[in-house]
Amino acid sequence: MKKYLCLGCGFSYDEALGLPEHGIAPGTRWADIPDDWVCPDCGTPKSGFDMVEIPYWSEARS
Amino acid sequence: MSVRFVLRAGERGYSYLPSVGPNASYVAGHPDGVITRHSSFNFHEYQSGIPGLGVMKVFGDEIFTPGGTGYNMHPHHNFIIMAFVVGGALTHINTIGKVDELREDDYYVFSAGSGGKHSELNIGEQDLHVVYVWVLPGQLLAPPSYRRNRFDRAAGANRITCLVGDEQGALPIGQTFKVSRLLSDADCSHVYRPAKQNGVYAFVLEGDVEIADAILTRRDSLALEGEDKVEIKVRTDGTDMLLVETKL
Repeated sequence: MKKYLCLGCGFSYDEALGLPEHGIAPGTRWADIPDDWVCPDCGTPKSGFDMVEIPYWSEARS
Repeated sequence: MSVRFVLRAGERGYSYLPSVGPNASYVAGHPDGVITRHSSFNFHEYQSGIPGLGVMKVFGDEIFTPGGTGYNMHPHHNFIIMAFVVGGALTHINTIGKVDELREDDYYVFSAGSGGKHSELNIGEQDLHVVYVWVLPGQLLAPPSYRRNRFDRAAGANRITCLVGDEQGALPIGQTFKVSRLLSDADCSHVYRPAKQNGVYAFVLEGDVEIADAILTRRDSLALEGEDKVEIKVRTDGTDMLLVETKL
């Protein structure tokens, strides 16, 4: 499970969590999100996201 | 010694963002207001060229015309956004609850973390010149924060001053990343010593320097890697530059 970050605004997508409030179920792979999907916060296209390997603040504290 | 790239002023991305038309909801200000932006790296539509250096994803210098020009309130997550005011005055408003005014030599570090909005405005009567730098965070969805500081021009003359990073008097951001400023007279040489394995991005705001056999003038820049010593020969009085150090 990977995480992706919007280069337009910093919004993060986590494959494990999905985006249920935007109709994307937990566990949805990045590759399975349509190419015309855009960042729900700023409208940056899917191609403007980068994969990141950064822990969550909450994990880093535990 | 290894030069990763030399980026000349004219090779950088350019955006012209009037406050009317497609950007009307994004760009604030009088109908004649306009933001011009020169980007060293990717920024929104500017996806060709160099994708940043290390954790730095954006390095852009922007001019906001007077009359309330700027960015309306808009959301961010995660990115650590820094603004370095080079001229004029910047009004910064954020959802942490801060309304701030920054003048020449002031700078801020805004960590958007788990979510924050901000607005950046020029409500003054002269152009605002500001350099924006965006950095990936060490941790995702951290509590948002805002801090500001000031570059002391008198104390900082003819020496390299750390503005952002783990040094006394600077604003730390909790990872291997520094921004320093050098304001220098001609015929001075300066040595910047990055931690080994880190990358260095040198950007000339004004003036003329020689670094690693390259002559850099206004808004030229270069990136170096594998250095433990970067020698900067200043060739013009009033040379002003920013030095970014990042893990690669």
